[in-house]
Amino acid sequence: MFTRHVDDSLPRYCDGELSAAERQRVDAHLVSCARCRMALEEIQFSANVVRQLKVISAPPSVWNAIVEAGLETRLARSRAYRLRWAVACGVVLAAAAGVYWSIRDTTPKPWAVARVNDGGTRRMAAGEWVDTRGGSTARIIVGELGTVDVAPRTRVRLGQVSQSEYRLQLDRGTISAEINAPPRLFIVDTPASAVVDLGCAYTVTVGDDGAGELRMTKGWSSLEWKGRESLVPAGAMCRTRPASGPGTPYFEDASAALKRAVDDFDVGRDRSQALDVIVREARVRDTLTLWHLLSRVDASDRARVYERIAEFEPPPAGATRDRILALDADALRRWREELAWKW
Amino acid sequence: MDGAGGELSPEILDACRRGDRDAFRALYEAYKDRVYSIAFYFFQADADAASEVTQQVFLKLMREIARFRGEAAFSTWLYRLVVNACVDRARGRRAEVVGEDPVALDTIAASPALSHEEMFSRHEVATSVQRAIATLPPKLRAAILLRYFEDLSYSDMANALNCSIGTVASRLSRGHRLLAKKLAPIRVALRSGE
Repeated sequence: MFTRHVDDSLPRYCDGELSAAERQRVDAHLVSCARCRMALEEIQFSANVVRQLKVISAPPSVWNAIVEAGLETRLARSRAYRLRWAVACGVVLAAAAGVYWSIRDTTPKPWAVARVNDGGTRRMAAGEWVDTRGGSTARIIVGELGTVDVAPRTRVRLGQVSQSEYRLQLDRGTISAEINAPPRLFIVDTPASAVVDLGCAYTVTVGDDGAGELRMTKGWSSLEWKGRESLVPAGAMCRTRPASGPGTPYFEDASAALKRAVDDFDVGRDRSQALDVIVREARVRDTLTLWHLLSRVDASDRARVYERIAEFEPPPAGATRDRILALDADALRRWREELAWKW
Repeated sequence: MDGAGGELSPEILDACRRGDRDAFRALYEAYKDRVYSIAFYFFQADADAASEVTQQVFLKLMREIARFRGEAAFSTWLYRLVVNACVDRARGRRAEVVGEDPVALDTIAASPALSHEEMFSRHEVATSVQRAIATLPPKLRAAILLRYFEDLSYSDMANALNCSIGTVASRLSRGHRLLAKKLAPIRVALRSGE
């Protein structure tokens, strides 16, 4: 009697993953089918071969390399991330940050500014300006959180200092920040966005027209403006514009065509054509850009952005297509957390 | 890990989330050999590649552990990190794995009948097996190693590989076929020894 071959069921048959009924069906077929018996033998053989592999001990040099790669810094960052995700989950930020920070110091340190040219350091008060229009450079010491290097021809104002916030206002020019602190403790206001530190290092530039760009070298930042937010991880950049706030982030190693198309999309130039290019050019890593576009494209374009991301990484269980297309915040967040492994 | 004697205690995981150095060291000691071994066999016994992948996995784990909310088993998450690191590295690496090593396998085929134990204790057999695994496409390689080296269930594999159980079965099926073909001389020698 003719019966269908059972090749596709054989690994599960071998591994005990079939139901009793399926197993009986395979058993019955094997009795009369030499080809499938041969296939079964191959599976048993290759499974047995791999099972013979021995566990190999990791050499001590691996741990040493982890330590050298900045174990302590990363553990500190892990502590920062813990707070960040607690915030994301709706835990009260102020209480958590307060507890965390009170362990270290209850008194926020004031601003201190070192002018690189003359080597002197002086304390400065909130409201004072650091102005390097004359071509000098300066370093702002942000309490115990880190430092901000001020490039020539930059004008930056020192904001209020408290246990929960250090704030700078960048009018124009370039600053480079390296901050090691709980998320959202250090913020730089620019004319078109607030750069909210999530534990990171970055450079932010503001031009005379108020437009700017953020380039991340370590960790994450978020750009926030009137309810609009762009998350920017290390290796990515994001432009800001006075009329529209934070643009769509992209990785700096993305194709030139994709980067141009993102800029076109953000300023509303041939948006449909720009979206075509972005979708076509996107690599797995560029799901950073695509994920942000989900909530920025017209509803009629959302499905194709969804499909492109799903080709790289389907949404996790529960974050259904319908929920994502409806811009359900929880579903978007869960998908982003999966995608972020690739960013 | 599941295949090696259970999950890490919740207390150690919590301490790791808090950035506790000793807890992280304990976690590292518990999993380092499994992570290293997967990478080692994934990259054809390349100790440098295995070291780099292991380092990368634990650094990433350290950075991201605060985001691990326990919805899946910790080991499943860790396997996912390992597989992603291996597949990403394989993607950026020149196709440098050599073929079936015909000289060594011909020698095996021509040798007197051997038992399983004798066969797998031979250096050239171990080398050929490692080489054959390393010639599988990365996704099939990951599936084969997670199932038969780590002894993961299909369900855990589906979580770790972020695919359906059907896809797991299909990858295993293709992996088996390719492995059996590449190692045919060993199979023949074993059969004649039975």
